Amino acid sequence: MFSRMAPRGRSGLGRSLAELGLLLLAILVLLDGTVQSLEAATSSEIDTHEGKPGTHKNTSKKSFPVLGIKYEDVSVPFEIALWVLLASLMKLGFHLIPRLSNVVPESCLLISVGLLVGGILKLARDEVPPVLSDRIFFLCLLPPIILDAGYFLPIRPFVENIGTILMFAVVGTLWNAFFVGGLIYAVCQIAQDKYSEIDLSNIGILPCLLFGSIISAVDPVAVLAVFEEIHINELLHILVFGESLLNDAVTVVLYHLFEEFMESGSVSAVDALLGLVSFLIVALGGVLVGAFYGILAAFTSRFTSHTRVIEPLFVFLYSYMAYLSAEVFHLSGIMSLIACGAVMRPYVEANISHKSHTTIKYFLKMWSSVSETLIFIFLGVATVEGEHHWNWVFLTSTVILCLVARVIGVVGLTFIINKFRIVKLTTKDQFIIAYGGLRGAIAFSLGFILHSEHKRIFLTAIITVIFFTVFVQGMTIKPLVELLAVKKKHEAKRSINEEIHTRFLDHLLTGIEDICGHYGHHHWKNKLNRFNKKYVKKILIAGDRSKEPQLIAFYHKLEMKNAIQMVESGGGSKLNSTFPSTVSMQNIQPKIHSPPSARPSERALPQLTKGREEEIRQILRTNLQKTRQRLQSYNRHTLVVDPDEEGFDDLILKKRRMMELDWKLKQMTNYLTVPRPQGSPTMSRARMASDSQAYVKPGAENVPTIKIDLASPQSPDSVRLLDEVVQDQGLTMSLPSSSSRAYKTSGKDDGRDQQKLLRCLSDPGPDVDDDEDYDDDEPVPT
Amino acid sequence: MGSSRSSLRGVPDGQQLLQETGFSAALLLRLHQRFQFLDKDSRGHLRSEDLEAELSENPIGDRIVGAFFQPGQETVDFPSFVRVLAHFRPTEKNWTRDGVQPEPANSRNRKLKFAFQLYDQDRDGKISRTELLQVDTTNTYTVKSKLSMKPLNTTC
Repeated sequence: MFSRMAPRGRSGLGRSLAELGLLLLAILVLLDGTVQSLEAATSSEIDTHEGKPGTHKNTSKKSFPVLGIKYEDVSVPFEIALWVLLASLMKLGFHLIPRLSNVVPESCLLISVGLLVGGILKLARDEVPPVLSDRIFFLCLLPPIILDAGYFLPIRPFVENIGTILMFAVVGTLWNAFFVGGLIYAVCQIAQDKYSEIDLSNIGILPCLLFGSIISAVDPVAVLAVFEEIHINELLHILVFGESLLNDAVTVVLYHLFEEFMESGSVSAVDALLGLVSFLIVALGGVLVGAFYGILAAFTSRFTSHTRVIEPLFVFLYSYMAYLSAEVFHLSGIMSLIACGAVMRPYVEANISHKSHTTIKYFLKMWSSVSETLIFIFLGVATVEGEHHWNWVFLTSTVILCLVARVIGVVGLTFIINKFRIVKLTTKDQFIIAYGGLRGAIAFSLGFILHSEHKRIFLTAIITVIFFTVFVQGMTIKPLVELLAVKKKHEAKRSINEEIHTRFLDHLLTGIEDICGHYGHHHWKNKLNRFNKKYVKKILIAGDRSKEPQLIAFYHKLEMKNAIQMVESGGGSKLNSTFPSTVSMQNIQPKIHSPPSARPSERALPQLTKGREEEIRQILRTNLQKTRQRLQSYNRHTLVVDPDEEGFDDLILKKRRMMELDWKLKQMTNYLTVPRPQGSPTMSRARMASDSQAYVKPGAENVPTIKIDLASPQSPDSVRLLDEVVQDQGLTMSLPSSSSRAYKTSGKDDGRDQQKLLRCLSDPGPDVDDDEDYDDDEPVPT
Repeated sequence: MGSSRSSLRGVPDGQQLLQETGFSAALLLRLHQRFQFLDKDSRGHLRSEDLEAELSENPIGDRIVGAFFQPGQETVDFPSFVRVLAHFRPTEKNWTRDGVQPEPANSRNRKLKFAFQLYDQDRDGKISRTELLQVDTTNTYTVKSKLSMKPLNTTC
């Protein structure tokens, strides 16, 4: 993505975009200023007109206004649109300047932009609009980010580590809150800064605890923004991220608790107990509300087969309703949203069309991205707005205490947690978890709505901590990750192979648990899965798909993705739109209750339908044809040509595409053996998968084949097609026997090339006649 | 626990199993109770039917049961039972290949070997294509197909 050799033009473009953004900003400022004055002018005119209607009727007949400015009608949406546009342009600009975005995480840049904008606005108009009001934040900006996180939450690692995550979220946050709150109170009592006009000692213990509870929560937005760029391994990512999501419940409860206490003025043991109960209600209630709406959404999606266009809307609406409903009852809105997204996802995805799925994905990503950008910019703007009460003692001690609390909390908790974990958390992991505890805009918004007399100083301190964590920790975490050689994320998506074997191991562990009589993790997971399969799926998933085994659904998806990728990379080949959907899995009849002793009868393996094989032949024909045209001038000995030769780049590209094509075909057919369909000669050879079966129906001895000849040793990984040209057919085919004789390669490499060639071809069945070519002693390469 | 020695009296080869497998005394006792529960007729050994009763819904239940029984044997007694289950303890990291101690059951190597045996049903030391395909399709359906490739030479 970040090309080191970005041409000068691109960075220039980035700069020009930034300039454009600033220009827009200036427009915003000026518009507000000038339009207001304009309106004042026009309104005064109108006043004077109306003041003397009678006498001025004749003289003041003004001409029809051809052009007029009426800004106040559209001012609010206009400004909103302008802000969003500014944010998006900034985002665009950053990515065009690769060096900057490598070093500095995006969140820092955005906050800086926000500071800049806030500064300009303040200078221009001497006051800054309070853009980060808590209502905008909690109702508009936060939900898309959380929904995006919840919908795409990787369920398996989340649930596997749920114990650890909960420990960190609940106990860790509580520890942080009390530690910071308590010690900051102590600091306030002790420290008396003579130079500061603020008297710290009259900050009571309760406001301090309230402050502690606000500042102690790890923020999901900041964590997402920073961790997204460092591509850390999945375990750590899910630990920190899960913690940031789940500690919302704790924060909500503590916040309300301490606020109530501050109102009432006294604390009793009963209140503390009620607080505990309230925590359970907030957390579980949020989850239940979310799950309820999730199930509703899944159920609704079952019936949307005729109105595909509005399917994404249901997803968004139900999730937003879940969030708002939870907020109505003072439950944890974030947990509700997460639960809703996670619950509805498997069912909704089975029901909705592929396009709706893409729409949902992209809308969520878009909204969450814009929200995040806006949040950081507004954070910068809000920093500039409002007076700050600087008290160095308070500020520095807050920052230090936060860090210390986090470190002690993580280390202590890990010590306890490791006794229960199978995969222990190493010191490196602990360091990253502690270092990744970033604070963000949620803390700021909570501080914003405080009604305390010390609001200003708290707010200043919160902003300081946020800045510190985002800037210092955010910027240094990437080099630290590199330095400590923390395991990075494994980028490839799981293959079907992994999926199958993981399931196998799951079944194994469940079985062992059953034997031991131990009701463990796997036992409950198994029970849940079977309950899911038996009842829930029937209700929530439309039609046939509910019976489809999950593995086949997964295969469907993978195949669809591959097909689409192949279309995109296949270049000029024209495929019918029916191509992906003619995957005929319908021929497989599930045989679930096979008696173990009966011999399973031979079943028809999935047939490739006529249409599909025609497409594949078509692709191959076009690709082969194109490469053939290029290759006529070469022979084996001169394959390493000078790069100046015309069309050489094209050739390389075509070869690469051919290989991609082969690879994708191979993936598609790897685990389901596909019989060689009658009368489609190119299919068998074209598959070129060393594992797949290609047995031939008896009677097709004269199957024409395409021989693949590997290039000379200088370029071992380029595939060259040696085709026997048959004049009347576009497709180059040759009979296997004749081709082996007419094999035009010469010389010493012939024997070796034969072997290399044979490895490339799909393995024929035993009754195909080119058995003689087959080398029996070679191990089959994977 | 001081009482561990006394309560292990009912367990055949209790002390030796403790050392061999590394289970704690409490765990061993519990496994013994479970063994006695599974062994409905109090014969002192388990047959495959006893184990299969627990694993009726498991797609690979027959493989798991097969892993408990040595080839050719029809019954499994308590020490073998425990030895198989010892594979599932957390991975032993402290064992060194000095040849003095026998390799503990929960070392990585032994775990891998155990998993391998689950795939390798005919115990010839290799996972043939047939066997791999069986695993692949066990989760979904049973499909038999014409297989023609040579087995993969994956010996332990």
